[in-house]
Amino acid sequence: MFTGVTIGQYVPVESVIHNLDPRTKLLLTLIAMVAVLAAGSGWGLVLVTGCIAILVFLTRVPWLLYFRGMKPLFILVALNFLIQLFMVPGEPLLQWRLVTITRQGLTLALVMTARLVLLFIIAQLLTFTTSPVSLIDGIERLLSPLRRLGVPAHELAMVMSIALRFIPVFYEESEKIVKAQVSRGADFESGNLITRARNLSSVLVPLFIKALRRADDLALAMEVRCYAGGGGRTRLRELRMREADYLFLAGALLAAVGVRLAGMHL
Amino acid sequence: MKSAKISLRGMVYASMFAALTAVGAYITIPLQLVPITLQTLFTNLAGALLGGYLGALSQLVYVLLGIMGLPVFAGGKAGLGVLLGPTGGYLVGFIAGTYFMGKMIERREQAGFGWIVLALGVGHVVIYGLGALQLSVVAHLSAAKALAVGVLPFLPGDILKILVAAFLTLKLRELIKL
Repeated sequence: MFTGVTIGQYVPVESVIHNLDPRTKLLLTLIAMVAVLAAGSGWGLVLVTGCIAILVFLTRVPWLLYFRGMKPLFILVALNFLIQLFMVPGEPLLQWRLVTITRQGLTLALVMTARLVLLFIIAQLLTFTTSPVSLIDGIERLLSPLRRLGVPAHELAMVMSIALRFIPVFYEESEKIVKAQVSRGADFESGNLITRARNLSSVLVPLFIKALRRADDLALAMEVRCYAGGGGRTRLRELRMREADYLFLAGALLAAVGVRLAGMHL
Repeated sequence: MKSAKISLRGMVYASMFAALTAVGAYITIPLQLVPITLQTLFTNLAGALLGGYLGALSQLVYVLLGIMGLPVFAGGKAGLGVLLGPTGGYLVGFIAGTYFMGKMIERREQAGFGWIVLALGVGHVVIYGLGALQLSVVAHLSAAKALAVGVLPFLPGDILKILVAAFLTLKLRELIKL
């Protein structure tokens, strides 16, 4: 279950989008989300859907994957669709017993559903094509201008990286402890609430102590190596903006403006 | 709020609690109605042991890792969809609630059992409030229904976890030196 945790949803294939700088991809995500919200309900929406479809095609990630992750949202989307469909008053389109579907209702339902699905696909685009490690790098670099305002960009990124490293370790640890306690006769499946809680603490306390020891070791190791925060640190992988990055950013901005204009005038 | 300077040890401990919260989502006690996970126990401990700022940071990092696609949310879910979905309010609640817990506990030099329980309880009111709010908005439920579905089933387990966390806080706080 946790074997793939450090890659998460990342789909490691070769594509133009995969090779973009994480900062570019984060900005693209932002631009695309704004464009969807600013697209209006007519040709703007069609245009933005087209642009996102092109991006999805460029990622070379099997497109079925994009829909598989949508399960938790499915009920929300369906419910929204039905509510808009039946509840919006207007010019009747279809009437059957007590149910009336209006033209306005149908349009609104379709537009809202399209927006939700598009926003979701945009988020998937980012996590499918960018590994967590490079995402963290990108977030740190994008936030670093805000350091002056007191946003701890480097610290946030460092905490995320360390947590990323700790998760599989702690998971393995907890599995080991559960097995060790079960082999000594611990029973997690029976008894009332209080007994179960007490039995669970036989996992909890060792796990916590082990985690704490790991954390202390790491802090000590960093201190010994003179870790002193973000300023003046060099990195193993330097982020580099290439031509493709600027091209994609310029294209996205142009497309977003186009979408907005199409949404307003068409 | 002094945010620019976070001690190295504080950072590592925040990472530790973010990771423990993620792992806690996988450790469950099977019960009749809702299984109890260890996740919020670590949320409690983060607030109580790290204080408001670092505790909230640890939960923020946990939520960010989930959004980035790591399967760390309850049930092995991940992604922005969970945050925007019906149960996303609880995730935001973890961050805000932990901040309240920590800030309240920081007010006392050596908080006693009762004060810790009270602080964790206040934090849970924040978590439940935000959770039920988003649940009712997203799933179009009435306030009463959202409370019945989104709060009541978790109450016994959470009360138990608050008591365990307060007890552990007293035992463990000597070990955490920020």
